[in-house]
Amino acid sequence: MVEYLLGVGILAAVYAINALSLNLQVGVTGLLNFGQVAFVGIGAYSVAILDSHDVPWIVGFLVGAVLAGAAGALVGRLGRTLASDYWAIATLALAELVRLVALNQDGFTGGAQGLSAVSGIWTGMSTTAREAATFATIVVVLGIAYLVARRVRNGQYGRVLVLIRENPDLAASLRHNVVSAKVRVMALSAVMASVCGGFYAMYISFIGPGQLLPFATFLIFTMVVVGGLGNTTGAVVGAVLITVLYDGTRFVRDWIDVSADQAAGIRILVIGVVLLGFLLVRTEGLVPEKVKAAHARR
Amino acid sequence: MLVVEGIKKHFAGIAALDGASIEVRAGESVGLVGPNGSGKSTALNCCSGFERPDAGRVLLLGKDVTGKEPWDVAKLGLVRTFQHANLPTKMSVMDLMLAGGHLVRGETIRHSLVSWKRVREEEADAVDKAWSILERIKLDKLAGHPGGKLSGGQQKLLSLGMALMGDPKILMLDEPTAGVNPSLRVELAEHLRKLQTEGVTLLTVEHDMRFISDVCDRVYVLDRGAIIASCAPAELSDHPEVLEAYLGRSGSRAVVESADRRTLS
Ligand SMILES: Nc1ncnc2c1ncn2[C@@H]1O[C@H](COP(=O)(O)OP(=O)(O)O)[C@@H](O)[C@H]1O
Ligand SMILES: [Mg+2]
Repeated sequence: MVEYLLGVGILAAVYAINALSLNLQVGVTGLLNFGQVAFVGIGAYSVAILDSHDVPWIVGFLVGAVLAGAAGALVGRLGRTLASDYWAIATLALAELVRLVALNQDGFTGGAQGLSAVSGIWTGMSTTAREAATFATIVVVLGIAYLVARRVRNGQYGRVLVLIRENPDLAASLRHNVVSAKVRVMALSAVMASVCGGFYAMYISFIGPGQLLPFATFLIFTMVVVGGLGNTTGAVVGAVLITVLYDGTRFVRDWIDVSADQAAGIRILVIGVVLLGFLLVRTEGLVPEKVKAAHARR
Repeated sequence: MLVVEGIKKHFAGIAALDGASIEVRAGESVGLVGPNGSGKSTALNCCSGFERPDAGRVLLLGKDVTGKEPWDVAKLGLVRTFQHANLPTKMSVMDLMLAGGHLVRGETIRHSLVSWKRVREEEADAVDKAWSILERIKLDKLAGHPGGKLSGGQQKLLSLGMALMGDPKILMLDEPTAGVNPSLRVELAEHLRKLQTEGVTLLTVEHDMRFISDVCDRVYVLDRGAIIASCAPAELSDHPEVLEAYLGRSGSRAVVESADRRTLS
């Protein structure tokens, strides 16, 4: 039981890092990135590939962060030439591109089989203690990601990002470089997503193209919408709730008599219904974005 | 200060601007009037980097800024407001004021994360400045309200306040009195005159002729994308072509007449 809870806790924390990243893009800046999983994949594969060559995991994280950051900046740069709706479609295409590369570059990525036996962290410890140490480590990383996201959101940069979301022309007229602001927020978010990917691959000790399907992005969108678009705390709340829900529905076959494929379909359906329900009934999510109170006079 | 040389701009076959030239000298307050659709907003867009003119040049402080990005033009000291304020409901009046400021450090990820103290100092100075501008435009009591929920007139005023946060050298206002009630118009005119005495150069697009005569030293008349007259506001009625542009065309006749007869005659 303890191990099960730790497992869910680890997944929730890993997803929460991802949700913080997506919230910065979609919630704060209004950038509809439907290809979030690409950044996660870059992080996960960097860690897994380097691990299979016995490179220390921290190097895998650094390489993943650099590659994802560069990819994020590039994707952000596309926003200069593409209107926002076309940009959103381009992100989806990009994620599929990353998945197809993972699927077809067998020599590097293990192809359809993916890369298994990715060694985790705290390998020297016994099972339960190791899960606990892993959980603690990831929670610390999540804490750092949360502080970074909050700092960014609550400072001048976050203010400019929200203004870009609401009225980009107004932002540009007030001397804010809209293109650069988007490029930088995409790079930062991509780095955060790659860290999530690294821990994900290490925790389940596997990464394959099956994990890079659009549904993975869709799941994170649900977390951010449920938590409250634009609210940093909301992203974490949404990630925890949706992880518990999505992981809990793994046991759907214990309750009803369905095939494994049908069970997987039901799990996806549940997430879809939750997302739709929130979009229709409670668009602002559980922890709505706040209008900040005025600063006191000195 | 601002020199516009023969700019042209076509949209899908129609010529929004057809070789308009405008000059605004430092410290001047210039008006730009003309019937609806005559290209006034397009002219502001071309000057501020929001549209790239098909032909012609825009010089700001002697620098060619034709086709430059809006933020690059703004960084040189040209700030413009919009015909429709469209302020966000998700940002407070104070937040919007701060967004109008130029907080160099707070705007970079690196400084937001590492130099907390300097970022805080920078922000505290901007907050002081925001309060003093808000007091001046009498929006200080609403500092915590969502900007997008203010009345149309208050949003126009707040847009001006946000523009002032960046200490513009030249301010371009697109119909600042549209949707603003008469008492606020008088106040707005006073603010603009005051700004001019403080050394801010002004270019105002307006329909309200009384406002133009209150605020502007000189006025350009734009008709179908071309400048047809440039004179002191009081002399506008001496120009038959201006009257014709405003009153002589069917359609907008009744509207324009009722709005402007008073001040034009
Ligand atoms: N982005 C645009 N696309 C197409 N036509 C435009 C665009 N902007 C302006 N126009 C057209 O250009 C002409 C001038 O418009 P505008 O500059 O807004 O006039 P004004 O501000 O003087 O009322 C109008 O006929 C308008 O319909
Ligand atoms: Mg206009």
